[in-house]
Amino acid sequence: MSILFASLIGFLTAAGVFLSLRAQTFPVVLGLTLLSYAVNLFLFGMGRLKTDAAAVLGNSASYTDPLPQALVLTAIVIAFAMTAFVIVLALKTRAELGNDHVDGEDDASANEQGGPSA
Amino acid sequence: MSLLNPIVLIVLLPFLSAPFVAWFGGKRRRAAAWAAAAVTLLCLALLGGVIAQFIAQGRLADAHVIGFHWMPSIGLDFAFRMDGLSLLFTGLILIIGLLVIVYARYYLALQDSAARFFASLMLFMGAMLGIVLSENLIQMVVFWELTSLSSFLLISFWQHRKEARYGARMALAVTGFGGLALLGGVLLLGHVAGSYNLSVILEAGDEIRQSPLYLPILLLILLGAFTKSAQFPFHFWLPNAMAAPTPVSAYLHSATMVKAGLFLLARLFPVLSGTNEWLLLVGGAGLITFLLGAYTALFKHDLKGLLAYSTLSHLGLITLLFGFGTPMAAVAAIFHLINHATFKASLFMVAGIVDHETGTRDMRRLGGLARKMPHTAALAIVAASAMAGVPLLNGFLSKEMFFSEAVDVAHEFGSNWALPLLVTLGGVMSVAYSIRFIHDTFFGTPSPDLPTEIHEPHRGMRIPIDVLVFVCLAVGLFPALLVGGLLTLAAGAVLNGPPPHFSLALWHGFNAPLMMSSIALAGGLLMYLSRRPLTRWHENSFGRLSARAVYDRLMALMQIAAEAVTHRFDQGRMQPMVLWTTGVALIAGLIGFLSYQAPLFGNDSLAAPFDALTATGMIIMMGTAVWVVNQHRQRLFALLLMSVLGLGVSLLFIRFSAPDLALTQLSVEVITVILMLLALRYLPQQTSSERDPKDRPRIRRDAVIAVLSGVGIALFTYAVMSRVYDTIAGYFLANSLTEGGGHNVVNVILVDFRGYDTFGEISVLALAALGVYALLQGMRLPPAVSSPIASGRIAHAQLLQTVTRLLLPMTLMFGIYILLRGHNAPGGGFIAGLIIASALMTQYLAQGIDSSERALSVPTHGAIALGLFLALATGMGSIVLGYPFLTSAFTHLHLPVVGDVEVASAMLFDLGVFFVVMGASVLMLTQMAKLTRVEPTAQTSGQVAK
Amino acid sequence: MTPNVNLASHSFDQILALLVFLPVLSAIALIALHRAGWRLKRLISAVSVGILLLATIYLIVSGAGNTPQVYPMGDWPAPFGIVWMYDRLSGLMLLLTALLGVVSLTYAIATNEDHRGAHFHALFQAQLFGLNGAFLTGDVFNLFVFFEVLLLASYGLMLHGGGAARSKAGLHYMVINLVGSTLFLFAVGALYGVLGTLNLADLAVRIGQAPSSLYGVIAAASLMLFVVFAIKAAAFPLYLWLPGTYAETSAPVAALFAIMTKVGVYAMLRVHGTLFDAHTAPASLVHLIGPWELWLGIVTLIMATLGVLAAMNLRRQIAYLILASVGTLLIALGVNTTESIGAALYYWIHTTLLSAGFFLLADIIRRSRGDDGWRVLPAMPRATLIGGLFLTYAMGMAGLPPLTGFFGKAMILHSVLDSHLMGAIFAVVLITSVMLVIALARSGSTLFYRVDQQEQAIAAEKVTATALTAVFTPLIIAAAMVLFALPLTSWLHGTSNQIKDTSVYIRHALNPAVSRLHTHEPHEPPTKSTRSDH
Repeated sequence: MSILFASLIGFLTAAGVFLSLRAQTFPVVLGLTLLSYAVNLFLFGMGRLKTDAAAVLGNSASYTDPLPQALVLTAIVIAFAMTAFVIVLALKTRAELGNDHVDGEDDASANEQGGPSA
Repeated sequence: MSLLNPIVLIVLLPFLSAPFVAWFGGKRRRAAAWAAAAVTLLCLALLGGVIAQFIAQGRLADAHVIGFHWMPSIGLDFAFRMDGLSLLFTGLILIIGLLVIVYARYYLALQDSAARFFASLMLFMGAMLGIVLSENLIQMVVFWELTSLSSFLLISFWQHRKEARYGARMALAVTGFGGLALLGGVLLLGHVAGSYNLSVILEAGDEIRQSPLYLPILLLILLGAFTKSAQFPFHFWLPNAMAAPTPVSAYLHSATMVKAGLFLLARLFPVLSGTNEWLLLVGGAGLITFLLGAYTALFKHDLKGLLAYSTLSHLGLITLLFGFGTPMAAVAAIFHLINHATFKASLFMVAGIVDHETGTRDMRRLGGLARKMPHTAALAIVAASAMAGVPLLNGFLSKEMFFSEAVDVAHEFGSNWALPLLVTLGGVMSVAYSIRFIHDTFFGTPSPDLPTEIHEPHRGMRIPIDVLVFVCLAVGLFPALLVGGLLTLAAGAVLNGPPPHFSLALWHGFNAPLMMSSIALAGGLLMYLSRRPLTRWHENSFGRLSARAVYDRLMALMQIAAEAVTHRFDQGRMQPMVLWTTGVALIAGLIGFLSYQAPLFGNDSLAAPFDALTATGMIIMMGTAVWVVNQHRQRLFALLLMSVLGLGVSLLFIRFSAPDLALTQLSVEVITVILMLLALRYLPQQTSSERDPKDRPRIRRDAVIAVLSGVGIALFTYAVMSRVYDTIAGYFLANSLTEGGGHNVVNVILVDFRGYDTFGEISVLALAALGVYALLQGMRLPPAVSSPIASGRIAHAQLLQTVTRLLLPMTLMFGIYILLRGHNAPGGGFIAGLIIASALMTQYLAQGIDSSERALSVPTHGAIALGLFLALATGMGSIVLGYPFLTSAFTHLHLPVVGDVEVASAMLFDLGVFFVVMGASVLMLTQMAKLTRVEPTAQTSGQVAK
Repeated sequence: MTPNVNLASHSFDQILALLVFLPVLSAIALIALHRAGWRLKRLISAVSVGILLLATIYLIVSGAGNTPQVYPMGDWPAPFGIVWMYDRLSGLMLLLTALLGVVSLTYAIATNEDHRGAHFHALFQAQLFGLNGAFLTGDVFNLFVFFEVLLLASYGLMLHGGGAARSKAGLHYMVINLVGSTLFLFAVGALYGVLGTLNLADLAVRIGQAPSSLYGVIAAASLMLFVVFAIKAAAFPLYLWLPGTYAETSAPVAALFAIMTKVGVYAMLRVHGTLFDAHTAPASLVHLIGPWELWLGIVTLIMATLGVLAAMNLRRQIAYLILASVGTLLIALGVNTTESIGAALYYWIHTTLLSAGFFLLADIIRRSRGDDGWRVLPAMPRATLIGGLFLTYAMGMAGLPPLTGFFGKAMILHSVLDSHLMGAIFAVVLITSVMLVIALARSGSTLFYRVDQQEQAIAAEKVTATALTAVFTPLIIAAAMVLFALPLTSWLHGTSNQIKDTSVYIRHALNPAVSRLHTHEPHEPPTKSTRSDH
């Protein structure tokens, strides 16, 4: 099961990295969200996978490791805050630069590289 | 020792006086000059006092060291040393400085800022004194660099002239470079000798010469000396520094700045000299500079240019003498050093007078000034003859010694005739340019366009020259009487031992040196007479080469390289940044694994059992991830896929016993999606396609990086998960109820064991809300696209409104219930806050802004502040009770509906969390939603306090 | 074994709590009063920063950090709860933060920069909260949380005032740091996943006991963590975000950000210094990071120097000067001896303060000249005063005497004399210094000497005396650092001794006696606590 779990995290990471390398803000935001999914699952996995062992005292015989869960909760909320901010920042750059390219270039030259940007 | 020690004062006074000099000068121009002169006189008086005291003690000959610790960690002491050598230089610097100040007082024009000039001059004087009086070598480097800086200020004094700026920067670049090399050399030297203090170093000569570091030390220190004393190949800055006002040239380029390098050679003579490397490097550089300078001086038409190159030549001569490495040569070097200071300073002043009176320094236009200003002419003739080495003048004596040393050294190398020949040639040329200086300026016929009413300068400008020329004569006539003692003293210090016996007499009988001198005089005259063909020949041969061009080329190259590299690497583009970051992280992880022969995976037998349902779920999620990438251009659709993934994640959380996470993930998901929907209205609905063939390689590269990262992270995950580990978690399970008063361990960790994390985290959320708020102020967006779903107005709004209106109270209730039970069952402040926020939001979307704002105007800022305050107050409460932040206490309480609960102080904290989460989410959502309403033009920066 | 020095005195506890929570309190007040007048906001902000400065000075002077002090959050002993660790290094960083806070706030108020957008003061306080929290924590996950706090605050501040170039640079800055944060979580998670703890000291102990089969994971995680810190510290090749960010943001924010790169360097020194110290770590892991710091430092220094030469305006040039100083610091840290770290700390204080002041000066030049680029423009008002300031700052940053830059570099060079890379380090540090001198001399002569006599000067913005004091302060401190080098350097040497002797740090951190309520033995002592999976 852990193998599947690990490869799921791998898939999410790959997708996240690829999207965060795009040239426009929205896909980048999606990519970062995917990355946060991946890392949250990763943190969660650090407590190992256990079924029916919620760390609520008195509910079950053995308990899962509650600490990673607490960390993930924190991570989720922080990721939420960051996502919210970066979305608005994407709007901001759209408003200031007139397009949604990460370097504010118009779509014509949107995706090429090289040459110092002014 | 105290700072009031006269030796220390001599160094400090000029520095301390500089601001006052500037201040006086601000008031009245003349005041600046007199203040500077007064300080210099005071220093001279102090010097006199010191000498008198030493004589009284009968310890004039030995070195007197005073100082205290400054930065012991690097062996830098604040220490000074007064011995023969430093005494000689201190006198030179102060006396010539005084004369230059008097001269400059009358030289400067009205529009020149006397304040700036004399203040910089004081700084420079202080720095020079610091060099020659330093006992600690690092401290000497400090003053060394200070001379570079203050000379930059002096050379660039006429800053509106391009030449001045250029010359100053060149001087700073070259000498500054030398200074830093010197720092390196000194550090190594001290490392070998075990101290940076001269008293130790001067005794460690053999040790240093045998050390493997000797050559690097020598090279670095010579770099310092040669750049400062303008020795080949670093000579080119000196002529360019002639853009400085003439008094500056007279001071820096005759007596002080350029002599610092020679001083360094003399100072470290006992330590570094006496090896072949020394002879080769120092002697070589000296000889080349000696000849090159003299040769170039012949063809300069600018008076100051001629003097500059002749200075080079004489510096080369002295360097060559040090290069010989014999005690006698050292004596000769010191002697010529004194003489050169006197005649060269006076000649610069003469050039200044000529420039001042005629308005030009070009010898092709000058002439016949002897009739107009006989006094100045007379002075010039004497000084120039001293420079040429005419008998009965000081220059003659030291040149004689120079010649005889050359002969002796040549003898050691098997009666080598080349050296004497070359030095004689040098002598010939220096005679020639001396004659030219006099004849072309004061005799011959002036060019007609020269102003006619030319007269002697103000007495104040002549007196300094009178003094200097008098010295030239006097020393020339009675050398032993006047400088014999001083020379012995200085030589003793240079050699760090008894000086050799030398006789300063006009007549040593007919010998090689005398012959060479006479050849020089005769040949010089001849050369001057045949100057025209020579000049022509020069101008179509060597005239073309210039070291300055090489320097310019180097600088240009450096600049080009810098710009090429920088603009190639730092393009200010985001994609390369992300690429580098991911790439480096990948490599770091890889290296981490590969550098240890450890198995990649462990063998944990206790992994969760396989079950098909979960497996398929995860596989579907993987598929969805790929699908998102594939569909990301259809933004709305990609967003829907994302929420599917989010749902999947929360399902996984439930499956693997993390109900709290599942709930949080779900509610976060809802709000995030709504935010993105609202944002999408102002962004293109499609990402522009990258079908363009020129994009292919980049896309392929990104894909490779992405896949590699994915594989890497997957392996990394399994590498950890497949291992057994030993965790502190047991403590939480054990103490959650008894110490934390809650059954839900995760929640207890969040609000108690690690409540401080949670506090930081809600601050992050609050900050995000504030940031969003600030960002959206006065944002000007193009009108929104109205696609049915993105518009956030869902069809059948009527129905939805009624539903939400009914649902709202229930969801509020549910939220509060979740909040209360959080400590013991899945739930808690986060989840409650998010649930209620999303409830309010549904209301919002269903009813549109206005009505819902009327219906529920949540003071979001207030909520955030209140929440943070509650959380903080809870924590502070325990501090008041004498326990650390957030120490919890709890009791039992019976509530209806919810039942028997432990009420922990931590729950108050959780309430704070609730308010922050709720307030922040609603603030962000409403701010975003407001955009849908306000027309871009109508948006004014509301928050700007004005 | 419970050394009682470990039980921190009461007043000390409260001052520590004040350092972290006073900014929060002010931030809360500023949020609640966000519609109030600007005078009140400025008052709150200024008072808070002033108190912070006094408190940090008191802590240093009182010598509280001479032995590491532990503050257990919620009274839970380490490694179970989060602890603050206050020692000389944290004390120094707190002091620097407060100083920068005062300087940059003064300037922001003097130039009304704080008006040019919402919530400046709240974000400013939050920034200080995040910084102080990060400098105090002894727990790696908590370090992550406070990185996020200070980052989010910095995003807000960086974008304060808006504008196209600024928004773009802000986007880059934020995205890069989001990637960094993700990496941070991966690394910390992995460390917990194999070692089962989050407390720094406990991690160090457990690494010491770890079986060699875990070294791979530990090394990978730690190197990823190093990458995260390298992003913050702006080391090659991860510094690309810095020039844009620092050059485009408003001057007071850029000045405050002078501490941001140091956060990264601090984290390396604190985290990796503790985890892989020779006292505790297995021999094969001790040299995991040092060489990287050294080489990255060398490359960073070279690249930054080229950037200084190529920069097209003063602000960008200063941004690259900061990079150069980061490179120099990393070299000294990489050599990793008590001497080199002591030297690094001196240089550290110097560069933090001077680069902050230099940014403010650049802004003053821009205001009074109309532009801080290399165009030839009419002479600016008060050119002599401002030019003098420029000369002093330039000398300091390039490493010429008499200011701290020279002595800092000299100390670092002196401290590497025994390193086997001595030659390379000498060459790079000295040659880059020359190039910096050349570049700054050119900038100075362009900005102040090459004046356009024909053109009529534009109506320059008035530069208030208050703004100038903000620029003078760092210079005065730097001068004091030279004059009183004797006590300062010996204090710093003691500090680096403390940093290098991690066994003391660990002993104090893990002493159960720090907690007053939960003093009884935990049901399962940490060392042999049950494996979570049965």
